[in-house]
Amino acid sequence: MQVTEAFKHAFLKQMLLGFQASAVSTKSMGFQERKNAIKLSADVAMAVARGSRKWTRGLIAGLSEERQNRSFLRLILGEQYESLLKPCHSSWKIPRCKKIVRRSLRICWRKQKKNQSGVLARTLVEKRTQELKRLVPGGKSMDGSSLLDETLDYVLSLRAQVDLMQSLLTTFEASKLRSHSKRRLPERKASYVSK
Amino acid sequence: MQCLRAPPDDLSILERQGACLLNWQQQDQEQPNYNPRGRGYCRQMQTSFQGLPSGCGGDKNANHGYVHGSIDCFSNGWPDLANIRYPVPGAATVEEASITNVSSNSSRKRKADKSPRSKENGGGGKGESSCKRIKEETGGGATSETGQPNKKEAASGDASKKNDKPPKTDCIHVRARRGQATDSHSLAERVRRERISQRMKYLQDLVPGCSKITGKAGMLDEIINYVQSLQRQVEFLSMKLATASPLMNINIDNIFGREVQINPSCKSGSTAMTGMSSELLDQSCLRFDSLQHPHPCAGLDMFMDSSDLVLRQNVNPPVAVPDASFGSSFDVNGCSVWSTNLQSLYGVDFQQGRGAALPF
Repeated sequence: MQVTEAFKHAFLKQMLLGFQASAVSTKSMGFQERKNAIKLSADVAMAVARGSRKWTRGLIAGLSEERQNRSFLRLILGEQYESLLKPCHSSWKIPRCKKIVRRSLRICWRKQKKNQSGVLARTLVEKRTQELKRLVPGGKSMDGSSLLDETLDYVLSLRAQVDLMQSLLTTFEASKLRSHSKRRLPERKASYVSK
Repeated sequence: MQCLRAPPDDLSILERQGACLLNWQQQDQEQPNYNPRGRGYCRQMQTSFQGLPSGCGGDKNANHGYVHGSIDCFSNGWPDLANIRYPVPGAATVEEASITNVSSNSSRKRKADKSPRSKENGGGGKGESSCKRIKEETGGGATSETGQPNKKEAASGDASKKNDKPPKTDCIHVRARRGQATDSHSLAERVRRERISQRMKYLQDLVPGCSKITGKAGMLDEIINYVQSLQRQVEFLSMKLATASPLMNINIDNIFGREVQINPSCKSGSTAMTGMSSELLDQSCLRFDSLQHPHPCAGLDMFMDSSDLVLRQNVNPPVAVPDASFGSSFDVNGCSVWSTNLQSLYGVDFQQGRGAALPF
């Protein structure tokens, strides 16, 4: 399973825009600050490139909770920032008829009384599901199958993010090496000439 | 009318009746003169179906009997069986079809309709089935059999693999397997479990090293570890980029920005992005190597110099056709703009980028 080329393109583009917006290349930033800015723009780029999914919305909502990120987010997202921040998460509840819910709960409870065999397995799975909900952004308001859906998507995007950042890093380092070698070239030429 | 076989004890009376009916149906196909009696029995079954106590809300069509489940459940794995109208339009997705084909235990029972069946795939339609209407939007889809109207019945019998074309309703129907409980809750639960297990399979392919793990808990463990490791990797890489960036004095948009001329040799095409982006950067860096004279603009960083020079070099030769995969953002005609005010270019680019890139 792979992400699409269009996603990669949009991701790269957005990330570079984010770097520019946060002025990562200026020397005035401290190391931590710069690292946070890079990570922030990488995450936002991933969310923007992916489009509208539960985890992307959760990610941006989580990022916007910290005050220092908000100006950056507003800059990058523009007018969509406000619409994204509308509460569309756990506060929404699917309206359910109480009578039906009560009846189905009663039936399930009766079945559970009879059949206690899977309790251990179920608690293990429950614990891990809770853990996964913590990891995947916006996961608190997802149910089992949609959680797995979003996890799948999130893992693919994370992989693409890691690939992108790695390639950027190698390219920067390669160009740095070249520039260093280029600077040394006249010196070498001089040394040859002198010989 | 005789039942050919005594159905198993765990089935209800209705199901046994259904089994007998199915046998009748088979006989119907073999001996057409039995049809009138079969149809009469059908009508009897219809009326008996109306009284099904398992929480099915009935919505009886004048011509066909339908039994609907009142469970809201989200499943995309099962073709619609209960609500089939003649002629049957497709309703299940391809995924549904594949899943129903895969489910070897699913069986289906046929009821003779008023209109004669056009074809029967694979012999007689004996089987145990119980369908629930589950509310969801379903798209059109193909199943292995087409044009077969079905009536929903609970019955026992031989399992046979039959798929009918689901009707054009926005409900999903589920078929119970042989020997399993047929009430609405367990069916809904089974549907939910099927979905979850299907997703777990996808995740198993995605997460490396999961092919041997079979349990849900173990799989979730691996998934959690993988997600955590990916997140840690992102942290680490951002740290490394932070160390690299001031030294590079990156102004990357000069290289990648809206107007970039792409070297025709730097084709990304089907290659992975890592190859592509590093290729592109390498290209610009290589050109930087070939430049001998320093750039007259003082105060610009290396990359800006290189990109500026690169673009100036390439202004004269014919503009390369932008790679299709780069999309519309890479406008080739902008090379001439580079020599003008770069600040205004930043502004323009940024506006463009912001406007275009937000698919929310």
